Amino acid sequence: MSTLEVKDLHVEVQDGESGAVKEILKGVNLSMSTGEIHAIMGPNGTGKSTLSETIMGQSAYHVTQGDILLDGNSILDMPVDERARRGLFLAMQYPAEIPGVTNAEFLRAAINARRPKDDQISVMSFLKELDKNLDLLDMNEAMTERYLNEGFSGGEKKRNEILQLLMIKPAFALLDEIDSGLDIDALQVVAKGVNSMRGDNFGALIITHYQRLLNYIKPDVVHVMMGGRIVKTGGADLALKLEDEGYAGLRDEFGLDVDLVDEN
Amino acid sequence: MSQETMPLVEDTVTKHDEPTWMADKRRVAIDQLPTLKMPRIQRFDYRDWQLMPSTEIHWQSSSASLAQSELDATTAKMDDQQISVVQVGQTTTQVKLPAQLAKQGVLVMDLFDAMREYPELVKPHLMTNVIKTNETKLTSYHMAMLTSGIFVYVPRGVVVNQPIEAHIIQDSTKTDHPLISHVLIVAEAGSEFAFTQHLSTVGEAENIANCFVEIDAAEDSRVRFSSLDAFGPKTETYFERRGLAATHANIDWAVGLLNDGNTIGNIDTNLLGEGAETDSKMIAITDGTARMGINNGVTNRGKHSVGNILQRGVLLGQSQLVFNGIGDIIHGASGAKAEQENRLLMMSNEARGNANPILLIDENDVLAGHAASVGQVDQQQLYYLMSRGIDRQQAQRLVIRGFLGVVLSAIPAKTVRQELITTIERKLTDEN
Repeated sequence: MSTLEVKDLHVEVQDGESGAVKEILKGVNLSMSTGEIHAIMGPNGTGKSTLSETIMGQSAYHVTQGDILLDGNSILDMPVDERARRGLFLAMQYPAEIPGVTNAEFLRAAINARRPKDDQISVMSFLKELDKNLDLLDMNEAMTERYLNEGFSGGEKKRNEILQLLMIKPAFALLDEIDSGLDIDALQVVAKGVNSMRGDNFGALIITHYQRLLNYIKPDVVHVMMGGRIVKTGGADLALKLEDEGYAGLRDEFGLDVDLVDEN
Repeated sequence: MSQETMPLVEDTVTKHDEPTWMADKRRVAIDQLPTLKMPRIQRFDYRDWQLMPSTEIHWQSSSASLAQSELDATTAKMDDQQISVVQVGQTTTQVKLPAQLAKQGVLVMDLFDAMREYPELVKPHLMTNVIKTNETKLTSYHMAMLTSGIFVYVPRGVVVNQPIEAHIIQDSTKTDHPLISHVLIVAEAGSEFAFTQHLSTVGEAENIANCFVEIDAAEDSRVRFSSLDAFGPKTETYFERRGLAATHANIDWAVGLLNDGNTIGNIDTNLLGEGAETDSKMIAITDGTARMGINNGVTNRGKHSVGNILQRGVLLGQSQLVFNGIGDIIHGASGAKAEQENRLLMMSNEARGNANPILLIDENDVLAGHAASVGQVDQQQLYYLMSRGIDRQQAQRLVIRGFLGVVLSAIPAKTVRQELITTIERKLTDEN
């Protein structure tokens, strides 16, 4: 069993244009183990993506206080690639396009990065695994010979993120708004992919605006994030309650002092 | 160089059995040289380079064992059926041409043999129409000092399906071995073929390379030229690669500039005929303290002629790379098109790069466009790759390959493409 713990995490970012430093996360606490699916819900601009990017190690986010522990060890000093090799995976909201590098070549490089130099994956086992997962995600084989994310539609990019998840088999997956821009069929395919990973050796943290995705991927734990903190943690029913009452309702119920970006 | 060189020209006739017309060309070149200027590479200063190191014509023969071992190493990479010519220093060690093509009149041979055996084909084309001896000091120096070369002739209407592969191996086992080499390619009307050259150095001595390619493409012919330049770190290179395209002729260039040493060069296609076309693709990688200044140009003279330039450069270490894309549309070339894209990727803070589009347009009815950029590695791309566990070095290599990909994937010959990728990977690995 692996564990991922976020302790009193404070994170700042510097605005690219104005140069002003802004604190986004203001003391996040979260603890999860493999075998569990967690969901983080929250309104826009509340720091959900900041949390996932900070766990992954994106250099634009500066941790000013607190810690992130993987199996009890701090990962704050580790570069992004090392965090990934230790079991973290971030399915990104806006995956980068890399022309000139095929999807298949990239996937092999990612798998081999986790294996010793003298034990790289054989072409046959790679292709076998690839075919199986393409099938599961209802993806065309031609996708693997295309350049990584280049010219992919929004839906194709999301599927491609899940394909990587299935191929890499991390301990923990952070899924950042994996449902945004997907029609219902694509959403079901993506959910099917994530569900196929469920088991004792896999945990996921699903970041979403909407409860809809959670109809297809049943979470064990739901966290509500507002104003840079997790303000409420509960079971799957918390998501349903949110869908009914909205974030403003929840805020008022708990008497939280938070501004909501989209509030009229 | 002065009149003192003249007796040496007499020598070339007597000792090297050179035709007198060739000796005359040398004399003219020697006379002109002092009155000419050095070639201009915009935004690139190479005044301190010794590109005309000697006043003697350096004939030499490479040692037989070297010639043999280099030939063996080269042929090991080829299959038996390949059309090929291998030169080590000034020695042509192998020519392979299928009997069928020879019967059709195709020639692939040593340039000096061709001067003796086919003067009617060589004389009117050598430094006459495409590159002129009196352009600059360096063109006349080339003519005066020329000591090696290859002649390719494809007669009217002949289509050669396999590429003609040339391996030119500079012999730098000794000093005073300048490589002064000329590839003369004559494509008669309606002919079609590909020519690929591989340039490399054996030995550690400091020498210059002065390498010219002339392509004279008659109407409706199609020549695809590829070159993989990989001279050693002690070689200072100057090259001219020029094409002259008659009506509806087509000359394509695909060049990988991977020399380890200083390099200046000029690639240019003169689209003389109506509807003539050229597609000029180039990749350059500079590393260490190497300096490279390249002009890549197209001159549109013919109506409805089309010229495209696509260049990508990667700078490592403390190197310098200047790309000048020169589009020259002459008055009267109505309906002409000229597009160019020059991009540089800086992998080091100590490297210096310039990408300069230069458009000279003297005609109204044309379509011309350009794009140029000098940038750093895209941090989002690096982050994405690393977030999948790929380490920084490999992620950088993949991003660079992606940057070069648009040119790489357009290189027609798969073997050249693979060789290019292998050489690029080696350079990037050495860097780290």
